[in-house]
Amino acid sequence: MTAYFKNIKNGFKPKNYINYVVITLFLIISIISQPKTSTTTLLANMGFAIILAVSLNLVVGFLGELSLGHAGFMCIGAYIGTFISNQIFDAIGSKLVVLILTMIIGGLIAAIFGYIVGFSALRLKGDYLAIVTLAFGEIVRDICKNIPAFGGAMGLKNPHRYGNNLYIVAFVVALIMLILIQNLIRSKHGRAITAVRDNEIAAKAMGINVTYYKLFVFVLSSFFAGVAGVLYGSFNSIILYGDFSFNKSIEILVMVVLGGMGSINGSILAAALITFINTFLQSKLPGDLSALRLLVYALILMIVVIFNNAPALHKYKEKYSFSALFAKVYGKITDKFYAKHPEKKQARITDDSAAWNRVPSKIKMDEVLSTDILPDDKNNDTDTEDKRDE
Amino acid sequence: MSTLIEGLSIGSVYALIALGYTMVYGIAKMLNFAHGDIIMVGAYAVLTTMSLCGFPLVAILVAVVVCTLLGIAIEKVAYKPLRGASPLAVLITAIGVSYLLQGIAQLVYGSASRPVTIIDMGNVQIGNSAVRVSSIVTLVVGAILMVILTLFIKMTKTGRAMIAVSEDRGAAELMGINVNGIISITFAIGSALAAAASVCYLFQIPSATPTLGSMPGIKAFTAAVIGGIGSIPGAVIGGVLLGVIENVCKSTPLAPFTTSIEFGLLIVILLVKPTGILGKKRREKV
Amino acid sequence: MKKTMARILCVALALVMSVALLASCGGGAKNYAENNTEYFIGATGPLTGDASSYGISVNNGAKLAIKEINAKGGLNGVLFKYEMKDDQATVALAASGYDALYEAGMQISIGSVTSGSCEQFASKSEENNLLFMTPSASTASVIENRANGFRICFGDPDQGVLSAQKIAAEYNKIGAIYDTSDAYSSGVYDAFKSEMDKLGKTFTVKTFDKENNKDFSAQVEALKDCDVIFLPIYYTEAGLIAKMAASKGCKAVLFGCDGFDGIAGQLDATVTNKIMYITPFDVNSTDPTVKAFVDAYKAEYNSLPDQFAADGYDAVYAIYNAMKAANVDNVKISASDLCDIVRAKLTESTFKFKGATGEVTWNEKGEPTKVPQIVEFN
Repeated sequence: MTAYFKNIKNGFKPKNYINYVVITLFLIISIISQPKTSTTTLLANMGFAIILAVSLNLVVGFLGELSLGHAGFMCIGAYIGTFISNQIFDAIGSKLVVLILTMIIGGLIAAIFGYIVGFSALRLKGDYLAIVTLAFGEIVRDICKNIPAFGGAMGLKNPHRYGNNLYIVAFVVALIMLILIQNLIRSKHGRAITAVRDNEIAAKAMGINVTYYKLFVFVLSSFFAGVAGVLYGSFNSIILYGDFSFNKSIEILVMVVLGGMGSINGSILAAALITFINTFLQSKLPGDLSALRLLVYALILMIVVIFNNAPALHKYKEKYSFSALFAKVYGKITDKFYAKHPEKKQARITDDSAAWNRVPSKIKMDEVLSTDILPDDKNNDTDTEDKRDE
Repeated sequence: MSTLIEGLSIGSVYALIALGYTMVYGIAKMLNFAHGDIIMVGAYAVLTTMSLCGFPLVAILVAVVVCTLLGIAIEKVAYKPLRGASPLAVLITAIGVSYLLQGIAQLVYGSASRPVTIIDMGNVQIGNSAVRVSSIVTLVVGAILMVILTLFIKMTKTGRAMIAVSEDRGAAELMGINVNGIISITFAIGSALAAAASVCYLFQIPSATPTLGSMPGIKAFTAAVIGGIGSIPGAVIGGVLLGVIENVCKSTPLAPFTTSIEFGLLIVILLVKPTGILGKKRREKV
Repeated sequence: MKKTMARILCVALALVMSVALLASCGGGAKNYAENNTEYFIGATGPLTGDASSYGISVNNGAKLAIKEINAKGGLNGVLFKYEMKDDQATVALAASGYDALYEAGMQISIGSVTSGSCEQFASKSEENNLLFMTPSASTASVIENRANGFRICFGDPDQGVLSAQKIAAEYNKIGAIYDTSDAYSSGVYDAFKSEMDKLGKTFTVKTFDKENNKDFSAQVEALKDCDVIFLPIYYTEAGLIAKMAASKGCKAVLFGCDGFDGIAGQLDATVTNKIMYITPFDVNSTDPTVKAFVDAYKAEYNSLPDQFAADGYDAVYAIYNAMKAANVDNVKISASDLCDIVRAKLTESTFKFKGATGEVTWNEKGEPTKVPQIVEFN
């Protein structure tokens, strides 16, 4: 027992927990500041986006399989959740209880479908799997649209809208999900998942049960997508099949890619940022200019991706990217600090952050807004750089 | 009978689009999600030329030229800088290009659907059902283009260079093949095929909207995967199969579920044959 | 080491930014209109995406009405302001669009363009007691049981029932094609079907899904021998069906509802089928109000208005007329107060509105009563 706590104490790294703190603080501040309705709507949408992006990152970033049908799971969650809530609401009466119940049921049903899709992942790879997930998303939508109990093309109405405080629930769910997923990723299971991503055959040779982990990741990811769908459904007064189109899946994928594959904090930030930008542009731009909005969004998307990924632009990226500029500014401050207190610099040498950098499954905070999956030599470069100034 | 022929002709439209997908995928190893929108641009090019001069042949030529140039331009601006980057980054850029083209089309032409009539060819009587001549033309044009493409790839130097690049880019480069040039040519051919597809599409469905390309694009992508992505005869088989199934489904009570059936078929085929009907088996290296 | 600290700095900065963001957003419920200097009419609708042609038409019609009203000096010297937010026909954007408008001081609205978004808009506006007069959300339930909801266009069921009666009386071999992916189409079709069952008539039905497929060869082939094909769909797809019918040599009469308006622009010389549709608005009408609207629209946008534009135009004018009749004279009036006043006026039995879509009166439920006309050509 003491050994366990000692382990925790030794392994404790503030940066592993900082995102919980940030999200909790963010939530507390927003509750205290009594936001306007528009802000609560924005926050709720941010919460859904965070859950969707992080859960998709599990499949795309950590398992390394491209999924183009994440909105399909969300669709299942939204329809099932709202349908069940319409049936049981009068019997239970409490909105929160109904919401929690439907979240569990909707999530589980989405997870069952996740299991089915994951099953095809065992046989298919890469783009073939991507097209199956796309097909799955479209089939789900098509079927939901044709079920009379789900309202057909007219949509499924939700007379028991949860109300503006839903953002609190959404953020709490996002936090719970984060704790689960981050602990999973840092555990031996997480390392097994990334091992499957990096080299399936080698992983198999090391005795990792590839089947189990693939299914597991798909089930977990679709569960949370389903939960996000239930939340989305309970926030709106009608569920339309059109909201879960291929474009929605792409929107979630864009969040994951812009945030950095395999970077949970990146996904969170990108999800929040993209939701914010979309809502901001909608509320501030006159409606007549909305065709321009599409153009601006497309251009930003292309420029950001090309800037971040183009091999020819790497040297500029290292100079001018968000994190590089930060490191530069911070470096100047610390240099001055260490010049004054050389003893503090000595005391830091024991820190094993350089070793941590080499762990493939690490959460790369510096990948905020970047998508690089660089060859190893780049990581090594930064490592040596780190060592040099230590 | 007419259901079958209509199905075949819509299938050959899918096949033409799928050919573009499959060539670009086979050679540049990327999913070009903007391919569907090149068809949309082709349709608007036809619309504009028809309203300016009214000669169908000129309109078709203009569409082919515009689409080919556009394809090369997109490749140079959006995809070339990303050569060697992760495939997902290229995928997202392709989606960006797709949104961009749709946005521009909406700004220029408005979002309402615009009727486009290229030429009216009437009907012929086959058996006891009337079949549109345009369907037959589409079918024939599709078949001819596919044969030409296959011959081009098999017989010409450029075609063989394409095969070499698709097999092993590094080795092809060592053998003195200009890989970048080959990829540009691939995009040009793919886009020219998209222009042909857009003309055939307008024969079938004579109206143009900014989002015209997205659904046929996804369907054609599905067709390419069914046939085995990267394989040219595979794309043709996939496209025709999809078109026929779609048209048969539409005349049965299962019509509302047409999309589900098409995509369901895709999943079944892939589960039975994981690389599509004519897909090459990939050997996994340790 | 440097990097780790930079990361923490990064996160800290994100936190500070979010605090700043939220701090600027404080404030509870209040009358957002208290700073208004103009009456603010809001709306959401699809201005981009697949459904955007409807949204853009409504927007154009409404903007024209506002321009005319302001040119006449507004209401007692107070001008009107109008804005439509893009919702891409999705519910999430309808919600955030509504919030943005309401907090910018929207006092009254013409709701949303599409039925699904309008359901969301309606439920949010019900909480704030803000009156909406939807130009085109025709699904019955949008304004059902909502005191603040009004509609200017026909409801779906009315059109279906009327079409069924008309068709059953005149034709024998009846076919129908409708769009399973569209709320308007399914709504009209459902009413049509139940009325046909009531009348004891049989008919053949085919469906399509405009999202996925616009090739109508199979459907038209199956209904080729019918006397009449009922098409409760929009004019773009109807135009394609008409051309397909012409090229297949199908001679059936094509019978539609108000969505057909605008079909003339989609046809070419090959189409010889008789086309009939029930509509409150006819662009070729000689009625002076309609003519004035059509001319003004043409001068403004250089194109012919469709029924969506006419409904948008009328919705704004209906609100304006009701406000004028009720003698509203406080530009800072809250949405809720204005809603009560306008609702009382609109539901008064003596209140009549004459617009481009005919003469309208509203009942207690907010449903309009107006005289349909049948337009036919070819």
